[in-house]
Amino acid sequence: MPKHIVRLLVLIAVVAIVVFSTKKFLTPDTFYQYGHYRGDAVAEIASKIPKLQGSASCEPCHKKAYTEWTDGIHHRATRKGAIQGVVFKYGPGCEVCHTGPAGNHPSNEAMPLSIEDQVTSITHPEIKVHPANVPGRKLMLSPEDMKGICLNCHEKMEARPIEQRQIEVASHSGEELCTKCHNPHSPRIIYASLPQGRRGNAQAGKAIAAACTGCHGEAGMSTSPAFPNLAGQHFDFLVDSLKGFKTGIRKNDMMSPMVAGLNESDIRNVAAYFSRFSCGVSGGDKAKAELGKAKAANCAACHSAGGLYGPGAPGVSGVPTWPNLAGQNAEYLASTLKSYQDGSRAHPVMTSVAKTLNDADIDHLSAYYASMKCK
Amino acid sequence: MTTPNTKTNEAVPMSRRRFLEFLGKSAVCGGALASAGSAIGLSETYGPKRGFQQNDEQYAESVNNPPKIPDYNWNDHQWAMGVDTDRCIGCLRCMEACKMENSVQMDAFHHRTWVERYVYLEGSNTAIVDSQADPKNIENTGSETKFRFDNRYRNVKVDKAFFVPKLCNQCEHPSCVQVCPTGATFKTKEGPVLIDTTYCIGCQYCVQACPYGARSFNEVRGVAEKCNWCYHRITKGLNPACVEVCPTGTRIFGDRNDPESPISLFIRNNHVQVLKPEMGNAPNVFYKGTDKEVV
Repeated sequence: MPKHIVRLLVLIAVVAIVVFSTKKFLTPDTFYQYGHYRGDAVAEIASKIPKLQGSASCEPCHKKAYTEWTDGIHHRATRKGAIQGVVFKYGPGCEVCHTGPAGNHPSNEAMPLSIEDQVTSITHPEIKVHPANVPGRKLMLSPEDMKGICLNCHEKMEARPIEQRQIEVASHSGEELCTKCHNPHSPRIIYASLPQGRRGNAQAGKAIAAACTGCHGEAGMSTSPAFPNLAGQHFDFLVDSLKGFKTGIRKNDMMSPMVAGLNESDIRNVAAYFSRFSCGVSGGDKAKAELGKAKAANCAACHSAGGLYGPGAPGVSGVPTWPNLAGQNAEYLASTLKSYQDGSRAHPVMTSVAKTLNDADIDHLSAYYASMKCK
Repeated sequence: MTTPNTKTNEAVPMSRRRFLEFLGKSAVCGGALASAGSAIGLSETYGPKRGFQQNDEQYAESVNNPPKIPDYNWNDHQWAMGVDTDRCIGCLRCMEACKMENSVQMDAFHHRTWVERYVYLEGSNTAIVDSQADPKNIENTGSETKFRFDNRYRNVKVDKAFFVPKLCNQCEHPSCVQVCPTGATFKTKEGPVLIDTTYCIGCQYCVQACPYGARSFNEVRGVAEKCNWCYHRITKGLNPACVEVCPTGTRIFGDRNDPESPISLFIRNNHVQVLKPEMGNAPNVFYKGTDKEVV
């Protein structure tokens, strides 16, 4: 055989040996084990540590919130039907709203880098922590955050199935935050068990109240039907109203200067003083009251003891931040509704409600609530 | 003398030319039929299932010597997912949970699962589709890291509308696996299509190949990215993250080998369909309640 052919064959053989041994050396043993891929990769991917831990993992440390949730509608909201009556899913758990998963919490040690993140740190050594793992995702949500979270599921929207509870934000709450009335862990309102706000000191309030009695009466029953009775009114509503006058949300030539000099604790004390008195019924025209009864059905969702979920005494508000109307002076009630109509007083819900009423409706409604029993 | 009848076929004897023509046509048609049959899964039979593109030796290996995952054998399972679009409220919690669980980039454009909104305006036969990545939806929350649909159809008349959650279909015949040049993506025996990130070179052939747009490219890691049904969770007896957080039970997950598992009941008791069946990928995500416009 010619020399140059032999050389060529040797060269080809050497190249082939080098190529095949390199391939053998670089290919992992498990590469063709199950197919055209690295067999070890399956177990590697499976070894990643789960981050979402489920609601039960929150219980040991957060007993109170956990109990609120398990007793509440958010936990019990089961849906049947998709697979013929089998309950397969409970309502939203902890990690649905608190989306920093539990594995990210309480410490970074609890969450080692995942395989993908390790790859990141090899190919891009300058990136130490992946953006998704950075704290900043708050587990504890502020009331302002909460509103966005609630609306994720409950904003009224085309394409949402009607079985889902949805609200029209503007008419349901306006600018109010969801947490004002709802406990997010157990959002259905059970009126009797609403948390009470920080109380004031009625004794200390008595001295301040001396300035009020000229119009609102010694025991909270006003001296003129143009002024509201305060006796037995909700403490929280009185506090909100006084704060409203102080900050200018509500405007009144008499009240604004009166409240200007009061501080936070003064407001609580004087509110406690008047809310402690037992309320009285000022009474209204019986014929008009009868006419107002039908119209009052629209008001019952907020201004009745049963609220949205049942019958209850009309005019006694179930939520302490909304006013009791029962027994209130008819003249005052009428002027209040008119002030909502002309815009001199504003409230996200009441402004729109008042605009649906004509003068006769206002007359009848005022008489109706003035003649209701207030206890 | 008779003139040959060229107008009608009966009178013409089978010439050599015509015979060869016929032979060629039938071969082409038969071949097409056979390939179409295998593409839509007609040629598959029940019984022990071979993995995707496995030869005899590799199949025996996967049965006798499965990957060493604690308390888990991939021969015992056949995972599948169901999506009941009648229940989806479009809250996008699945997407956020997925990003948290799998460390996906926290912006609106990289995702392993997502939700689309289909809206038919009154008098229109075509759907308007948007998802969380729509600029108006990003503007609505003021941040790309908060996922929420805006309420843009509040003041218009809508004929019908619904949400459709989307994710990787973990196909029986995955196009993405066929095109991967390095063996970085592969189909496991029990269903999920996984990505071996240490072998991915970031060529993005798979992103192009996927008919469902389920893959994306992670520029930070330099690798392709897709849903793997939270393989690290399902191998530990947990549900995938999106199924875990879904507050309405839209997503249903389970083992088709167990006739009483949620997914078996879902498929048995509902009329379900898969997306783009004409692609021949044979998806393993089953949808209930979608329109034909949903692809």
